[in-house]
Amino acid sequence: MVLQSLQLKNYRIHSNSLLTFSDGINFIVGENGQGKTTILEAIYSLCTTKNFKASSDQELLQFSTAECEVTGTFQEYTSDIVRIYYSSTETKRSFLVNGKLIYRPSEVIGKFPIVLLTPEDHQLTQGAPADRRKFVDAILSQSNPLYMETLLDYSKTLKHRSFLLNRMKEDFRSVSPDELEAWNTKMVTAGSSLITYRKKFLTLFNTYLAQAYSAILNDEELPLIEYQTTIANGETGLEEKFSEQLAKRKDEEIRRGTNLVGPHRDDFIFSINGKALKIFGSQGQHKTFQVALRFAQFFYMKDILGRTPIFLLDDAFGELDAKRAAHISNYIRNVGQAFITATDLANLSSFLRSENDKVIEVSSGQVAYA
Amino acid sequence: MNISEPLQIAIEEFSKFPGIGKKTAQRLSLFLLKKPIDEVEKFIGAIYNLKHKLKFCSVCFNITEFEICEICTSPKRDKSILCIVEEPSDIIAIERTNEYNGVYHVLSGVLSPLSGIGPEALKINELLKRLKTQEVSEIILALNPDTEGDATSLYLGKLLQPLNIKVTRIARGLPIGGDLEFADEATIARAVSNRGLL
Repeated sequence: MVLQSLQLKNYRIHSNSLLTFSDGINFIVGENGQGKTTILEAIYSLCTTKNFKASSDQELLQFSTAECEVTGTFQEYTSDIVRIYYSSTETKRSFLVNGKLIYRPSEVIGKFPIVLLTPEDHQLTQGAPADRRKFVDAILSQSNPLYMETLLDYSKTLKHRSFLLNRMKEDFRSVSPDELEAWNTKMVTAGSSLITYRKKFLTLFNTYLAQAYSAILNDEELPLIEYQTTIANGETGLEEKFSEQLAKRKDEEIRRGTNLVGPHRDDFIFSINGKALKIFGSQGQHKTFQVALRFAQFFYMKDILGRTPIFLLDDAFGELDAKRAAHISNYIRNVGQAFITATDLANLSSFLRSENDKVIEVSSGQVAYA
Repeated sequence: MNISEPLQIAIEEFSKFPGIGKKTAQRLSLFLLKKPIDEVEKFIGAIYNLKHKLKFCSVCFNITEFEICEICTSPKRDKSILCIVEEPSDIIAIERTNEYNGVYHVLSGVLSPLSGIGPEALKINELLKRLKTQEVSEIILALNPDTEGDATSLYLGKLLQPLNIKVTRIARGLPIGGDLEFADEATIARAVSNRGLL
């Protein structure tokens, strides 16, 4: 899939920018605050209906304007025009594909696959378990609709159940044991299915990760992701073990009024050559791991979905040493269409330029082609 | 805004309806305004009768004009099969199939701790009481296949277990007559994982 052109109207610093892209690498260059990342943000919204930076659509509006608009033309087998329109008077955002209004994000999920590498990715290896679960859940939801359905079902069950536990915390007899039991069964069925999907996913994903990692580092380091679950390990009897755990920690769950066992508390442990990254990893290893995760995501999604995602790299080369930067620059040639932001073209010196590449200079929301 | 009060009130009332926004409410109000008076009075009568003539069946809690609904009193219905549904509208849906000949029991909702609905808010005690007098050989759980419907089915399954009655649950899967290619992915995936032996 290729994004051919993009138009931004009153979108943050861009009053009216029309961009056309290469189907190879697009370098977006400019000083800080000139509107580079905004271009990536717009592309990301077109593909996912979501914003990755702005917490509300209102933030996206250019100062003193009432409406903003992003339009992109994608080309794969057919051409698709995706348009997002936001009006502050109606405080409403409309998302249209080929002129047709889309009501639920799930209608477009997987249709315009995209992978984003940002400086915030340090959270993946250094942040909380929730950051890693989000990473895995996002990939699995895009590649398996049943996983997404089960995940929604499970989170809804968690909400109901924590409400129930809280009521029991206040007055134990206000909830019948049978009622809690019903929600337990619901939680065990959906939760066990999530755990099984995640384990199966990791087995496959680890091969993608190892490949990406060695392409970036060319070294004797083997990365691995292991699933750490609150439910005791073992292939058989997952549901029984889940129920046992719930029974064992029932009193504690009621005392604290929260769901303490299940895949929503699980973690993914990253390691290199058997050593936990979080404890023993150097800065360089962390950074390499983060980049490798995104490349692995890219190639995994490409294989599973049968369509090539768009790759966005926001300020990814700033902190890399020359050797890694050179390897990534080579590796990225296997990707297809990519968008790379940098403050200075000199930071991208590791790239061997191809005729097909495009350099876009951004300054105060104005776009020029170098 | 300068809208005359009766019109304003009608719009407000219409917009309380499910799925009706301000603009549709205005359209409906103006539509009624243009209608001849006798047609509007017929409409008023229909709404009046809805509240005054209809009540809930004292046995199954279906909507009826009588103390006990037509399904419960019909000698043709098989009283030994009981189908449990969430709302009376589900009865209408199942009745339209002409496939089911048993009787019903309306729960009037499903378990939902978030909205404060526990077993005591549903017609579950009434169901247990009914099972003491009515000889039942099978109970079919026909609740919606969502999170709350599932939890309620599980709850009822456990509750009914000691009674030694066969408890079944309606199947979920592909719609009939629909092309496989047009079904949504989750439905297809679920149907594949719940496939049956030929």
